[in-house]
Amino acid sequence: MNHSWMETPESPDPSSTMRVGLYEEEFKKFNWSLLIIALTLIGIGIFNLISATGVQDKSLGLYKNQLLWCGLGLALTALILLPHYSVFSRLAYVIYFANLLLLVGVLVFGKSSLGAKRWIGIGAFRIQPSEFMKLSLVICLAKYFETDRTVGGYGFKDLLLPGLLVMIPAGLIMVQPDLGTALTILATFVTMMLFMRVRTRTLVIIGICCAVALPTIYKFGLKPYQRQRIISFLDPMADPKGSGYNSIQSMIAVGSGQLLGKGYKKGTQSQLKFLPEHHTDFIFSVFSEEHGFVGCAIVLALYLGLLLNGLSVAYQSHDKFGLLLALGIVTVFFWHIFVNMGMVMGLLPIVGVPLPFLSYGGSSLVTSILGIAILTNIANKKFMF
Amino acid sequence: MAFLGQEEQIREFQDRFRYLYAAVFLVIGLLLSRLVYLQILNGEKMRQYSEENRIKRVKIAAPRGMIFDRNRTLLIDNRPAFDLEIIPQYLRESRQTDQVLGMLSKLIKMPKEEIQGILEKARGQPSFMPVKIKPDLTRDEVAAIEVWKISMPGVEVKEEIKRTNIYGDIAAHLLGYIGEVNSAELPILNKTAQKYKLGDSIGKFGLEQRMEDTLRGIDGEEIKEVDALGRVKLAKGKGRVLENNAGKPAKPGKNLILTIDQDLQLAAAKAFGDKIGALVAVDPRNGEVLAMISRPSFDPTEFSRGIPTAIWNKLLTNENHPLRDKTIQDHYSPGSVFKTVTAVAGLEEGVIDEKSTFRCTGSIRVGNRVYHCHLKRGHGEINVVTALTQSCDVFFYRVAQKLKSVDDLAKWARHLGIGSKTGISLAREVPGLIPTEEWKMKRFGQPWNGGETVSVAIGQSFVLTTAIQLANTYAAIGNGGTHYRPYIVKSIESYDGRVVKEFQPEILGTHELSPKTVELVKQGLWGVINSPHGTAYHQRLPGMDFTGKTGTVQIMRLSADKIYQKCENMKFRERHNGVFVGFAPLKDPVIAVAVIGEHVCHGSTGAAPVARAVVKTYLEKYYPDLYSEKAVAARLKAHGQATFVPPPPKRVDPEDEDVVINDDNVPASDLGAPHVPPGLPPSPPKPTRDTSRDALPDSAVDNEDE
Repeated sequence: MNHSWMETPESPDPSSTMRVGLYEEEFKKFNWSLLIIALTLIGIGIFNLISATGVQDKSLGLYKNQLLWCGLGLALTALILLPHYSVFSRLAYVIYFANLLLLVGVLVFGKSSLGAKRWIGIGAFRIQPSEFMKLSLVICLAKYFETDRTVGGYGFKDLLLPGLLVMIPAGLIMVQPDLGTALTILATFVTMMLFMRVRTRTLVIIGICCAVALPTIYKFGLKPYQRQRIISFLDPMADPKGSGYNSIQSMIAVGSGQLLGKGYKKGTQSQLKFLPEHHTDFIFSVFSEEHGFVGCAIVLALYLGLLLNGLSVAYQSHDKFGLLLALGIVTVFFWHIFVNMGMVMGLLPIVGVPLPFLSYGGSSLVTSILGIAILTNIANKKFMF
Repeated sequence: MAFLGQEEQIREFQDRFRYLYAAVFLVIGLLLSRLVYLQILNGEKMRQYSEENRIKRVKIAAPRGMIFDRNRTLLIDNRPAFDLEIIPQYLRESRQTDQVLGMLSKLIKMPKEEIQGILEKARGQPSFMPVKIKPDLTRDEVAAIEVWKISMPGVEVKEEIKRTNIYGDIAAHLLGYIGEVNSAELPILNKTAQKYKLGDSIGKFGLEQRMEDTLRGIDGEEIKEVDALGRVKLAKGKGRVLENNAGKPAKPGKNLILTIDQDLQLAAAKAFGDKIGALVAVDPRNGEVLAMISRPSFDPTEFSRGIPTAIWNKLLTNENHPLRDKTIQDHYSPGSVFKTVTAVAGLEEGVIDEKSTFRCTGSIRVGNRVYHCHLKRGHGEINVVTALTQSCDVFFYRVAQKLKSVDDLAKWARHLGIGSKTGISLAREVPGLIPTEEWKMKRFGQPWNGGETVSVAIGQSFVLTTAIQLANTYAAIGNGGTHYRPYIVKSIESYDGRVVKEFQPEILGTHELSPKTVELVKQGLWGVINSPHGTAYHQRLPGMDFTGKTGTVQIMRLSADKIYQKCENMKFRERHNGVFVGFAPLKDPVIAVAVIGEHVCHGSTGAAPVARAVVKTYLEKYYPDLYSEKAVAARLKAHGQATFVPPPPKRVDPEDEDVVINDDNVPASDLGAPHVPPGLPPSPPKPTRDTSRDALPDSAVDNEDE
């Protein structure tokens, strides 16, 4: 462990041949797996988007936007890979508060679409700060826990500050309203907290509080359409024109793909607009209809690879910040994959959560790519010690 | 390094990773098995379903509750209407759009370009959603389309329910109308629960609005499987994904049984003719509303499926305000019918009694103003009974002068229900107004002056009432002082005839009127119609104690030289309003009626005949032992008269005939009325009516007393 940063390229080295060798060494040890998985998924995503948006006159060229965003994401990846990831530790709170500011900006200057204010327009493009918040928050939490010295599990008092860090953005996103994103942020936080260990007593009390609060929130906190979604999840036939219909149509689309799918651009469910939001939240049903079980299994395997690789990056990280940061990013991916696919397959109620790399949406795509970039950065640095 | 001390903690963290790995495998495994379930195990079913079938959800609109009158005469029904719709998706798929539209255009006689235009407009919405092309198809068109439907993919005939007011405009305001829920109303309606969707029907006026929750049913739905061309598929066991969800039936709304009697409504509307105004008839024994009409009116049926803009605009711009319910929504100056209240106040406050007489010389001076009687030459010596009968203004001016203040008058007006809402279960009722000293101070910042009390005493000045208030007030006088809340809905029944709720009379209050007061007032009112000197003598029902009071309300301020001019010579919008309120029979009345006729010139000829028609219809229908040819003959015999003798004509100077401030004289043309055969009521004089209407603004009732 004493060779430390003496071997980093920046540090002077007496032997020049050694330097070259080390560069090659480093290049060889570069963790490509996550980037390869991500690029494969992006490729599948674009390919699928061409089919999903081909029928709609107004969304005809959407995949081109997606390509553009992808390019932007990869450019940022190169930037992120250069410095040591500890730069995120230093900038954690700056990033967090900047993003918070953007979220406030959304509510003030935001653009409305389908009754929600989620976007800020920048020229022809519009960004969705709530997507970036997922990463910012994970960085911020990793930073917080890095310096935290709590021993023997977290109690209520210890949870107060991190809880506040989460609740502020979650609240801002909730009022947009964007229940899906707010829930994923909360789920990520809960997962990380559980990982950090919470005192049993605290957990039990929180559990009881939730049991009491949930029906109340259901009754008074949710908007009618959100309540409707939960009702129609429990009984898809309860609301004929609403989300129950979406759920059924989505299941039919997935199921009708059978083993090999109906073929590219031949999915009747999606092509005939039986599917709602089929290029964003329901993109996977388009894919499963056209590519069947085989296609789905491949995508699922890619996600599995992504999650496992991510976990091993976290596992092998040598410092607390890196470990927690990697873990947080994997958690974000995990919840997105689970909630979105669960919804598409009728396992979970309909919550607007994008599927990483496959759903249309620039902010979501860039966030996912940046997540992979940070993971890769952490993965590479482990050889430097 | 800063994190060297973390090693131990990191090792501790690494221990916990197995849970994370477990979670990842669990979730991916779950998703994979769901894929197996959907795509492999149920794949074939789903495939067949998605390729051959499309779910089509058809809303089964729940019929709205029907509305019946008290004898179960159907007033509002739901009748089918047929709309032509096109589902663009199926039309486009068939690749024969042009031919189909051409064929359709011939069948429904609508230019092809127009159909294309409508489809073009609907391009934004999902193509599986039907687009309405033509509403209200005729039976022939429906038949023709059904025949040719097989070669017109995407073309559909949709049956819809059309809310139909069977009697058209008769009770439009009372029954009200329905309309589509608009996007502004939606959030308010769905505050507590998801009850309405855009495009649902909702009551917007009258009972339809007030009883919305009762009348509205619960929509059902039908799940149909259709093939790619939009035709309903026959049941087929295999491939039907939703076999266990055959939809749910609609639950019809509840029916209303009203207190209204449709025969009275028809009689009232007929008697009203094309006059403008309102009529309310109540049962003085319980507050049931027997008839309630407002004229001019409109046909609510036209509203039920979206009213054409042209008709709507015409209704809105009509200067006679057909959309207003004149029975409860419009304030009227009561004029002479208010004298009854003044008489009650005078008697109860003890400033006059049955022996009190005043001398009417045709006018009196209060301060430096002269207040006229409608009879220029005066009524001479007159007491409370004859003053009511002949509607002598001077008598009531003197009563007002004797009262301590206007507040004494206001107190009794309120006791009798004037100046406050009756509480009838209809929206938008206005309260009326009874001025007091305090009110004037608050409203105008001026003290009350004595002359104004004089005007109030004859129902002028600031006094405002509504037709329903007047009917209720006279009902209370008729029944001896009990004040009921007027009500319209007798009972609510479920669609299969079970009584869900029955409404009971509700006593709002009982005035403590002395029997003497009631007797004197009733006697005076009886004379109005039954004494040869009465202002509505020509409206009597022989053999029946029809009782009431006329009023004629000047609505424009007239200069002194014009006071006595003939009303019929004035511009239409400047003519007096006619009011009549009465009840029958004298003892234990069974019906009380208030009629207000706008610009009809006289209460006696413009309003009283309408009331008379309603009372006559009611008595003949429900109380033949009180009023029928036989009953009348028996009664006349009992009175020792073999035949009915018409009273001697009233001697009136021609110049005195016309109403001034608010009188109720009979026009000269009616004085030489033809001889009326015994047992039959005299034919009511035909009101002369100037049809040329002036474009004067519909000025509010001018309450100036001179």
